[in-house]
Amino acid sequence: MCGAQDFHVPDSAVAGDEATISTQGGGKAILYLVGPGVSRKSEVTLGEDVRLAPQELRNAGDYLAILCSGTCHGENFYVTAAMPASLTFLVHPSRVPVAQGDAVSGVAFPFDKYHNLALAPENISFQLTTKDASLWSRASRTQNGVAWFRTASGKSAGPVQVTASLGDLTSHRALQQVASDPCNLGISGQRTRSGILVQTGPVHDCAGNPVSDGTIVTFTETGANGTDTVDAPIKQGIARAQLEAPGAVSISVASGVVMGNEIHVGAQP
Amino acid sequence: MSPTIKGTAHPRFAAALAALFCLVLIPTINLNAADAAVQVQLDIKKAGPRDVESLTERGILRDYRFAWTSMAQALEFNTFDPLEGAFSGDAKQWLRQTVVSQQQSGLSQRYLDQNHQLEAVFYAPEGDVMELHDTAQYQLQIRDGDKTIHDEHVVVHYVVLMTPGSDRWVIRQLQAVPQF
Repeated sequence: MCGAQDFHVPDSAVAGDEATISTQGGGKAILYLVGPGVSRKSEVTLGEDVRLAPQELRNAGDYLAILCSGTCHGENFYVTAAMPASLTFLVHPSRVPVAQGDAVSGVAFPFDKYHNLALAPENISFQLTTKDASLWSRASRTQNGVAWFRTASGKSAGPVQVTASLGDLTSHRALQQVASDPCNLGISGQRTRSGILVQTGPVHDCAGNPVSDGTIVTFTETGANGTDTVDAPIKQGIARAQLEAPGAVSISVASGVVMGNEIHVGAQP
Repeated sequence: MSPTIKGTAHPRFAAALAALFCLVLIPTINLNAADAAVQVQLDIKKAGPRDVESLTERGILRDYRFAWTSMAQALEFNTFDPLEGAFSGDAKQWLRQTVVSQQQSGLSQRYLDQNHQLEAVFYAPEGDVMELHDTAQYQLQIRDGDKTIHDEHVVVHYVVLMTPGSDRWVIRQLQAVPQF
Protein backbone atom coordinates (compact mmCIF):
# COMPACT_ATOMS: atom_id res chain seq x y z
CA MET A 1 0.00 0.00 0.00
CA CYS A 2 1.16 3.45 -0.80
CA GLY A 3 0.47 6.19 1.75
CA ALA A 4 0.95 9.93 1.92
CA GLN A 5 4.38 9.47 3.47
CA ASP A 6 5.65 7.40 0.59
CA PHE A 7 6.44 10.16 -1.88
CA HIS A 8 7.11 13.85 -1.91
CA VAL A 9 6.39 16.34 -4.64
CA PRO A 10 8.48 19.52 -5.04
CA ASP A 11 7.64 22.28 -2.57
CA SER A 12 7.96 24.73 -5.40
CA ALA A 13 8.97 24.51 -9.03
CA VAL A 14 9.73 27.01 -11.74
CA ALA A 15 8.56 26.62 -15.32
CA GLY A 16 11.16 24.95 -17.51
CA ASP A 17 13.30 23.81 -14.58
CA GLU A 18 13.93 20.21 -13.71
CA ALA A 19 12.26 18.89 -10.55
CA THR A 20 12.24 15.68 -8.58
CA ILE A 21 9.64 13.52 -6.91
CA SER A 22 11.16 11.42 -4.17
CA THR A 23 9.65 8.06 -3.27
CA GLN A 24 10.17 5.73 -0.36
CA GLY A 25 9.79 2.02 0.18
CA GLY A 26 10.53 -0.74 -2.28
CA GLY A 27 9.06 -2.50 -5.28
CA LYS A 28 7.42 -1.15 -8.40
CA ALA A 29 4.69 1.44 -8.66
CA ILE A 30 2.95 3.51 -11.30
CA LEU A 31 3.47 7.25 -11.24
CA TYR A 32 1.04 9.53 -13.03
CA LEU A 33 1.75 13.19 -13.64
CA VAL A 34 -1.18 15.34 -14.74
CA GLY A 35 -0.80 19.03 -15.40
CA PRO A 36 -1.20 21.73 -18.03
CA GLY A 37 0.11 20.20 -21.24
CA VAL A 38 1.28 16.96 -19.67
CA SER A 39 -0.25 13.58 -18.93
CA ARG A 40 2.37 11.01 -18.05
CA LYS A 41 2.16 7.42 -16.89
CA SER A 42 5.37 5.63 -15.99
CA GLU A 43 6.56 2.72 -13.94
CA VAL A 44 8.88 3.71 -11.11
CA THR A 45 10.93 1.92 -8.51
CA LEU A 46 9.96 2.95 -5.01
CA GLY A 47 12.85 4.32 -3.04
CA GLU A 48 14.28 6.09 -6.05
CA ASP A 49 13.85 9.69 -7.11
CA VAL A 50 11.76 10.38 -10.17
CA ARG A 51 13.07 13.09 -12.44
CA LEU A 52 10.60 15.49 -13.98
CA ALA A 53 12.11 16.81 -17.18
CA PRO A 54 12.09 20.56 -17.90
CA GLN A 55 9.81 20.10 -20.90
CA GLU A 56 7.21 18.44 -18.67
CA LEU A 57 7.05 21.55 -16.50
CA ARG A 58 6.98 24.28 -19.13
CA ASN A 59 3.48 25.46 -18.34
CA ALA A 60 2.87 27.25 -15.06
CA GLY A 61 -0.04 25.90 -13.09
CA ASP A 62 -1.35 23.12 -10.91
CA TYR A 63 0.21 19.67 -11.27
CA LEU A 64 -1.01 16.44 -9.71
CA ALA A 65 1.27 13.48 -9.09
CA ILE A 66 -0.45 10.17 -8.35
CA LEU A 67 1.48 7.17 -7.14
CA CYS A 68 -0.25 3.80 -7.41
CA SER A 69 1.06 0.72 -5.69
CA GLY A 70 -1.95 -1.30 -4.68
CA THR A 71 -3.86 1.83 -3.95
CA CYS A 72 -3.33 5.30 -5.34
CA HIS A 73 -2.42 8.50 -3.60
CA GLY A 74 -2.15 11.96 -5.12
CA GLU A 75 -0.22 15.09 -4.20
CA ASN A 76 -0.37 18.37 -6.01
CA PHE A 77 2.22 21.08 -6.51
CA TYR A 78 2.46 24.35 -8.39
CA VAL A 79 4.81 25.43 -11.10
CA THR A 80 5.29 29.19 -11.24
CA ALA A 81 6.31 31.33 -14.19
CA ALA A 82 10.01 31.85 -14.85
CA MET A 83 11.66 35.26 -15.27
CA PRO A 84 9.99 37.60 -17.77
CA ALA A 85 11.34 37.05 -21.26
CA SER A 86 8.92 39.05 -23.37
CA LEU A 87 6.42 41.86 -23.08
CA THR A 88 3.04 41.81 -24.71
CA PHE A 89 2.26 45.45 -25.30
CA LEU A 90 -1.05 46.80 -26.59
CA VAL A 91 -1.33 50.47 -27.55
CA HIS A 92 -4.39 52.39 -28.70
CA PRO A 93 -5.16 54.12 -30.97
CA SER A 94 -2.87 53.88 -34.00
CA ARG A 95 -3.83 57.40 -35.16
CA VAL A 96 -4.67 60.14 -32.71
CA PRO A 97 -5.39 63.86 -33.02
CA VAL A 98 -2.90 66.08 -31.22
CA ALA A 99 -3.57 67.63 -27.83
CA GLN A 100 -6.34 65.24 -26.81
CA GLY A 101 -6.60 64.39 -23.13
CA ASP A 102 -6.33 60.69 -22.16
CA ALA A 103 -6.26 59.81 -25.83
CA VAL A 104 -3.41 57.27 -25.76
CA SER A 105 -3.41 54.15 -23.64
CA GLY A 106 -1.22 51.10 -23.34
CA VAL A 107 -1.27 47.80 -21.51
CA ALA A 108 1.75 45.56 -20.91
CA PHE A 109 1.89 41.94 -19.75
CA PRO A 110 5.24 40.28 -18.96
CA PHE A 111 5.55 36.64 -20.02
CA ASP A 112 8.31 34.13 -19.43
CA LYS A 113 9.93 32.28 -22.31
CA TYR A 114 7.29 29.56 -22.10
CA HIS A 115 4.47 32.13 -22.45
CA ASN A 116 3.40 31.92 -18.82
CA LEU A 117 2.11 35.17 -17.36
CA ALA A 118 4.75 36.47 -14.91
CA LEU A 119 2.72 37.43 -11.86
CA ALA A 120 5.51 38.66 -9.58
CA PRO A 121 5.45 42.48 -9.39
CA GLU A 122 7.78 44.11 -11.91
CA ASN A 123 8.56 47.72 -12.77
CA ILE A 124 7.68 48.64 -16.32
CA SER A 125 8.66 51.98 -17.86
CA PHE A 126 6.41 53.52 -20.46
CA GLN A 127 7.66 56.24 -22.76
CA LEU A 128 6.35 58.28 -25.69
CA THR A 129 9.02 59.75 -27.94
CA THR A 130 9.27 61.54 -31.24
CA LYS A 131 12.46 61.44 -33.27
CA ASP A 132 13.57 64.62 -31.51
CA ALA A 133 12.25 64.49 -28.00
CA SER A 134 10.70 62.56 -25.19
CA LEU A 135 7.04 63.52 -24.86
CA TRP A 136 6.12 61.63 -21.75
CA SER A 137 7.32 58.82 -19.51
CA ARG A 138 6.15 56.97 -16.44
CA ALA A 139 7.15 53.91 -14.44
CA SER A 140 4.41 51.55 -13.39
CA ARG A 141 4.53 48.43 -11.26
CA THR A 142 2.68 45.37 -12.49
CA GLN A 143 -0.24 44.24 -10.43
CA ASN A 144 -1.62 40.77 -11.13
CA GLY A 145 0.78 40.60 -14.05
CA VAL A 146 -0.34 43.75 -15.82
CA ALA A 147 0.74 47.40 -15.99
CA TRP A 148 -0.99 50.12 -17.95
CA PHE A 149 -0.99 53.83 -18.70
CA ARG A 150 -3.20 56.48 -20.19
CA THR A 151 -2.00 59.90 -21.28
CA ALA A 152 -2.70 62.85 -23.55
CA SER A 153 -1.43 63.01 -27.09
CA GLY A 154 1.39 65.43 -27.90
CA LYS A 155 1.15 68.80 -29.60
CA SER A 156 2.87 68.05 -32.91
CA ALA A 157 1.65 65.92 -35.76
CA GLY A 158 3.93 63.08 -36.81
CA PRO A 159 5.03 59.60 -35.81
CA VAL A 160 5.41 58.75 -32.14
CA GLN A 161 7.15 55.72 -30.74
CA VAL A 162 5.58 54.17 -27.65
CA THR A 163 7.90 51.99 -25.62
CA ALA A 164 7.44 49.63 -22.70
CA SER A 165 10.61 48.48 -20.95
CA LEU A 166 11.25 45.91 -18.25
CA GLY A 167 14.94 45.56 -17.51
CA ASP A 168 16.54 44.56 -20.79
CA LEU A 169 13.19 43.80 -22.39
CA THR A 170 11.74 46.46 -24.63
CA SER A 171 8.64 46.47 -26.76
CA HIS A 172 7.93 49.22 -29.29
CA ARG A 173 4.71 50.36 -30.90
CA ALA A 174 4.18 53.23 -33.32
CA LEU A 175 1.32 55.65 -33.50
CA GLN A 176 0.64 58.58 -35.76
CA GLN A 177 -0.34 61.90 -34.29
CA VAL A 178 -2.42 63.87 -36.73
CA ALA A 179 -3.67 67.44 -36.72
CA SER A 180 -6.73 68.13 -34.65
CA ASP A 181 -9.76 70.15 -35.78
CA PRO A 182 -9.06 73.29 -37.84
CA CYS A 183 -8.53 76.48 -35.93
CA ASN A 184 -9.13 80.08 -37.09
CA LEU A 185 -10.70 78.87 -40.31
CA GLY A 186 -10.71 81.84 -42.68
CA ILE A 187 -11.93 82.31 -46.24
CA SER A 188 -11.65 84.81 -49.01
CA GLY A 189 -13.70 85.07 -52.18
CA GLN A 190 -13.75 86.89 -55.47
CA ARG A 191 -16.20 87.07 -58.25
CA THR A 192 -15.22 85.47 -61.56
CA ARG A 193 -16.99 85.19 -64.91
CA SER A 194 -18.65 81.95 -63.88
CA GLY A 195 -19.53 82.81 -60.29
CA ILE A 196 -17.60 83.18 -57.09
CA LEU A 197 -14.28 81.48 -56.34
CA VAL A 198 -14.00 81.01 -52.62
CA GLN A 199 -11.08 79.46 -50.77
CA THR A 200 -9.62 79.04 -47.36
CA GLY A 201 -6.21 80.08 -46.24
CA PRO A 202 -3.81 77.32 -45.21
CA VAL A 203 -5.84 75.23 -42.75
CA HIS A 204 -4.13 74.50 -39.43
CA ASP A 205 -5.21 73.20 -36.07
CA CYS A 206 -4.78 75.32 -32.96
CA ALA A 207 -1.25 73.95 -32.43
CA GLY A 208 -0.22 75.01 -35.93
CA ASN A 209 -0.23 71.55 -37.52
CA PRO A 210 -1.48 71.48 -41.12
CA VAL A 211 -4.84 69.75 -41.24
CA SER A 212 -4.68 66.59 -43.36
CA ASP A 213 -5.51 66.77 -47.04
CA GLY A 214 -8.89 65.25 -47.73
CA THR A 215 -10.51 66.82 -44.68
CA ILE A 216 -13.86 68.20 -45.84
CA VAL A 217 -14.59 71.91 -45.63
CA THR A 218 -18.15 73.08 -46.17
CA PHE A 219 -18.93 76.41 -47.86
CA THR A 220 -22.46 77.77 -47.43
CA GLU A 221 -23.81 80.65 -49.52
CA THR A 222 -26.94 82.49 -48.49
CA GLY A 223 -28.61 84.94 -50.85
CA ALA A 224 -31.93 86.08 -52.24
CA ASN A 225 -32.43 82.69 -53.86
CA GLY A 226 -31.93 80.78 -50.65
CA THR A 227 -29.09 78.70 -49.29
CA ASP A 228 -26.69 76.45 -51.14
CA THR A 229 -23.90 74.27 -49.78
CA VAL A 230 -20.71 72.95 -51.37
CA ASP A 231 -18.33 70.46 -49.76
CA ALA A 232 -14.69 70.59 -50.80
CA PRO A 233 -11.72 68.54 -49.61
CA ILE A 234 -8.53 70.19 -48.48
CA LYS A 235 -5.86 69.83 -51.15
CA GLN A 236 -2.29 70.88 -50.42
CA GLY A 237 -3.50 72.62 -47.28
CA ILE A 238 -6.24 74.68 -48.90
CA ALA A 239 -9.90 74.06 -49.73
CA ARG A 240 -11.55 75.91 -52.58
CA ALA A 241 -14.90 75.88 -54.36
CA GLN A 242 -16.66 77.58 -57.23
CA LEU A 243 -20.11 78.93 -56.35
CA GLU A 244 -22.72 79.89 -58.94
CA ALA A 245 -24.29 83.00 -57.46
CA PRO A 246 -25.16 85.94 -59.71
CA GLY A 247 -26.67 87.97 -56.87
CA ALA A 248 -25.19 89.27 -53.65
CA VAL A 249 -24.51 86.50 -51.16
CA SER A 250 -23.06 85.82 -47.76
CA ILE A 251 -20.65 82.91 -47.63
CA SER A 252 -19.68 81.06 -44.46
CA VAL A 253 -17.31 78.14 -43.88
CA ALA A 254 -17.18 75.23 -41.49
CA SER A 255 -15.21 72.02 -41.01
CA GLY A 256 -16.62 69.46 -38.65
CA VAL A 257 -17.80 71.37 -35.61
CA VAL A 258 -15.54 74.35 -36.31
CA MET A 259 -17.03 77.51 -37.83
CA GLY A 260 -14.96 80.03 -39.75
CA ASN A 261 -15.53 83.62 -40.80
CA GLU A 262 -18.29 84.93 -43.05
CA ILE A 263 -17.75 87.09 -46.12
CA HIS A 264 -20.14 89.12 -48.27
CA VAL A 265 -19.80 89.23 -52.06
CA GLY A 266 -21.76 91.73 -54.11
CA ALA A 267 -23.93 91.00 -57.12
CA GLN A 268 -22.48 90.40 -60.57
CA PRO A 269 -22.07 93.78 -62.36
CA MET B 1 -53.17 4.81 -51.70
CA SER B 2 -52.00 6.88 -48.96
CA PRO B 3 -52.79 4.41 -46.10
CA THR B 4 -50.50 1.83 -47.72
CA ILE B 5 -47.80 4.36 -48.18
CA LYS B 6 -48.15 5.44 -44.57
CA GLY B 7 -48.12 1.82 -43.41
CA THR B 8 -44.75 1.09 -45.03
CA ALA B 9 -42.91 4.36 -45.42
CA HIS B 10 -43.74 6.11 -42.18
CA PRO B 11 -41.96 3.70 -39.82
CA ARG B 12 -38.82 3.94 -41.95
CA PHE B 13 -39.12 7.68 -42.03
CA ALA B 14 -39.61 7.72 -38.28
CA ALA B 15 -36.56 5.50 -37.78
CA ALA B 16 -34.47 7.77 -40.00
CA LEU B 17 -35.76 10.78 -38.11
CA ALA B 18 -34.91 9.13 -34.80
CA ALA B 19 -31.41 8.34 -36.05
CA LEU B 20 -31.00 11.91 -37.22
CA PHE B 21 -32.19 13.09 -33.81
CA CYS B 22 -29.61 10.90 -32.11
CA LEU B 23 -26.82 12.07 -34.38
CA VAL B 24 -27.59 15.77 -34.35
CA LEU B 25 -29.48 16.68 -31.25
CA ILE B 26 -28.23 14.41 -28.48
CA PRO B 27 -24.67 15.83 -28.48
CA THR B 28 -26.22 19.28 -28.27
CA ILE B 29 -28.43 18.20 -25.39
CA ASN B 30 -25.37 16.69 -23.65
CA LEU B 31 -23.41 19.91 -24.14
CA ASN B 32 -26.28 21.94 -22.78
CA ALA B 33 -26.66 19.57 -19.84
CA ALA B 34 -22.96 19.82 -19.12
CA ASP B 35 -23.12 23.58 -19.52
CA ALA B 36 -25.93 23.75 -16.97
CA ALA B 37 -23.70 21.87 -14.51
CA VAL B 38 -21.10 24.67 -14.64
CA GLN B 39 -22.00 27.42 -12.21
CA VAL B 40 -20.32 30.80 -12.69
CA GLN B 41 -20.72 33.94 -10.59
CA LEU B 42 -19.00 37.12 -11.75
CA ASP B 43 -18.03 40.07 -9.58
CA ILE B 44 -17.06 43.19 -11.54
CA LYS B 45 -16.72 45.64 -8.64
CA LYS B 46 -12.90 45.66 -8.75
CA ALA B 47 -12.61 45.84 -12.51
CA GLY B 48 -10.83 48.88 -13.91
CA PRO B 49 -9.68 51.19 -15.33
CA ARG B 50 -12.59 50.65 -17.71
CA ASP B 51 -16.05 49.96 -16.37
CA VAL B 52 -17.57 46.64 -17.36
CA GLU B 53 -20.76 47.25 -19.30
CA SER B 54 -23.71 44.99 -18.51
CA LEU B 55 -23.63 43.48 -21.99
CA THR B 56 -19.96 42.62 -21.51
CA GLU B 57 -20.69 41.15 -18.09
CA ARG B 58 -23.30 38.83 -19.57
CA GLY B 59 -20.95 37.91 -22.40
CA ILE B 60 -18.15 37.00 -20.01
CA LEU B 61 -20.48 34.87 -17.90
CA ARG B 62 -21.84 33.06 -20.94
CA ASP B 63 -18.48 32.51 -22.63
CA TYR B 64 -16.55 31.53 -19.51
CA ARG B 65 -19.17 28.92 -18.66
CA PHE B 66 -19.04 27.66 -22.23
CA ALA B 67 -15.25 27.50 -22.15
CA TRP B 68 -15.19 25.33 -19.03
CA THR B 69 -17.90 23.10 -20.44
CA SER B 70 -15.82 22.73 -23.58
CA MET B 71 -12.61 22.13 -21.69
CA ALA B 72 -14.24 19.45 -19.54
CA GLN B 73 -15.51 17.69 -22.66
CA ALA B 74 -12.15 17.89 -24.40
CA LEU B 75 -10.26 16.46 -21.42
CA GLU B 76 -12.83 13.78 -20.67
CA PHE B 77 -13.17 12.48 -24.22
CA ASN B 78 -9.67 13.45 -25.41
CA THR B 79 -10.87 15.39 -28.42
CA PHE B 80 -9.83 18.78 -29.78
CA ASP B 81 -13.15 19.89 -31.24
CA PRO B 82 -14.67 21.41 -28.08
CA LEU B 83 -11.63 23.69 -27.72
CA GLU B 84 -12.38 25.47 -30.99
CA GLY B 85 -13.94 28.85 -30.44
CA ALA B 86 -13.68 29.00 -26.66
CA PHE B 87 -9.90 29.15 -26.35
CA SER B 88 -7.13 30.93 -28.18
CA GLY B 89 -3.39 31.46 -27.97
CA ASP B 90 -1.42 29.84 -25.19
CA ALA B 91 -4.45 28.46 -23.36
CA LYS B 92 -5.57 26.62 -26.46
CA GLN B 93 -2.05 25.38 -27.10
CA TRP B 94 -1.53 23.79 -23.69
CA LEU B 95 -5.01 22.31 -23.72
CA ARG B 96 -4.28 20.69 -27.07
CA GLN B 97 -0.97 19.45 -25.66
CA THR B 98 -2.85 17.94 -22.75
CA VAL B 99 -5.28 16.15 -25.05
CA VAL B 100 -2.42 14.78 -27.17
CA SER B 101 -0.58 13.68 -24.06
CA GLN B 102 -3.69 12.02 -22.64
CA GLN B 103 -4.31 10.21 -25.92
CA GLN B 104 -0.80 8.76 -25.60
CA SER B 105 -1.00 7.87 -21.91
CA GLY B 106 -4.59 6.62 -21.94
CA LEU B 107 -5.62 9.03 -19.19
CA SER B 108 -8.63 11.30 -19.05
CA GLN B 109 -9.96 13.90 -16.63
CA ARG B 110 -13.46 14.63 -15.49
CA TYR B 111 -14.49 17.97 -14.04
CA LEU B 112 -17.76 17.49 -12.17
CA ASP B 113 -20.00 19.87 -10.22
CA GLN B 114 -18.07 22.93 -11.26
CA ASN B 115 -18.54 26.18 -9.40
CA HIS B 116 -16.56 29.27 -10.41
CA GLN B 117 -16.35 32.45 -8.33
CA LEU B 118 -15.08 34.82 -10.99
CA GLU B 119 -13.77 38.30 -10.24
CA ALA B 120 -12.75 40.82 -12.87
CA VAL B 121 -9.58 42.54 -11.63
CA PHE B 122 -8.49 44.42 -14.74
CA TYR B 123 -10.31 45.69 -17.80
CA ALA B 124 -8.10 47.52 -20.28
CA PRO B 125 -8.89 51.16 -21.14
CA GLU B 126 -9.88 50.22 -24.69
CA GLY B 127 -11.74 47.07 -23.68
CA ASP B 128 -9.46 44.71 -25.58
CA VAL B 129 -8.41 42.49 -22.69
CA MET B 130 -9.80 41.53 -19.30
CA GLU B 131 -8.04 39.78 -16.44
CA LEU B 132 -10.10 37.68 -14.08
CA HIS B 133 -9.48 35.64 -10.97
CA ASP B 134 -11.40 32.43 -10.70
CA THR B 135 -11.76 30.49 -7.48
CA ALA B 136 -12.94 27.23 -8.96
CA GLN B 137 -14.33 24.28 -7.05
CA TYR B 138 -15.04 20.95 -8.68
CA GLN B 139 -14.81 17.23 -8.29
CA LEU B 140 -11.74 16.15 -10.22
CA GLN B 141 -11.56 12.57 -11.40
CA ILE B 142 -8.49 11.16 -13.12
CA ARG B 143 -9.12 7.99 -15.08
CA ASP B 144 -6.70 5.50 -16.56
CA GLY B 145 -8.85 3.88 -19.21
CA ASP B 146 -12.02 2.89 -17.37
CA LYS B 147 -10.42 2.93 -13.95
CA THR B 148 -10.69 5.96 -11.70
CA ILE B 149 -7.32 6.44 -10.04
CA HIS B 150 -8.02 9.76 -8.35
CA ASP B 151 -11.24 11.39 -7.17
CA GLU B 152 -11.00 14.57 -5.17
CA HIS B 153 -12.92 17.76 -4.47
CA VAL B 154 -10.51 20.57 -5.26
CA VAL B 155 -10.37 24.33 -4.95
CA VAL B 156 -8.08 25.88 -7.55
CA HIS B 157 -7.26 29.52 -8.18
CA TYR B 158 -6.92 30.54 -11.81
CA VAL B 159 -5.61 33.73 -13.37
CA VAL B 160 -7.47 34.22 -16.61
CA LEU B 161 -6.95 36.54 -19.57
CA MET B 162 -9.91 36.92 -21.91
CA THR B 163 -10.08 38.91 -25.12
CA PRO B 164 -13.05 39.72 -27.31
CA GLY B 165 -13.31 37.76 -30.53
CA SER B 166 -15.62 38.38 -33.42
CA ASP B 167 -18.70 37.11 -31.61
CA ARG B 168 -17.57 36.04 -28.14
CA TRP B 169 -14.94 36.38 -25.45
CA VAL B 170 -12.20 33.79 -25.64
CA ILE B 171 -9.75 32.57 -23.01
CA ARG B 172 -6.14 33.28 -23.99
CA GLN B 173 -4.49 32.48 -20.68
CA LEU B 174 -5.63 30.08 -17.98
CA GLN B 175 -3.02 29.67 -15.30
CA ALA B 176 -3.52 28.05 -11.90
CA VAL B 177 -1.77 29.73 -8.98
CA PRO B 178 -1.41 28.79 -5.30
CA GLN B 179 -3.26 31.93 -4.23
CA PHE B 180 -4.15 35.38 -5.50
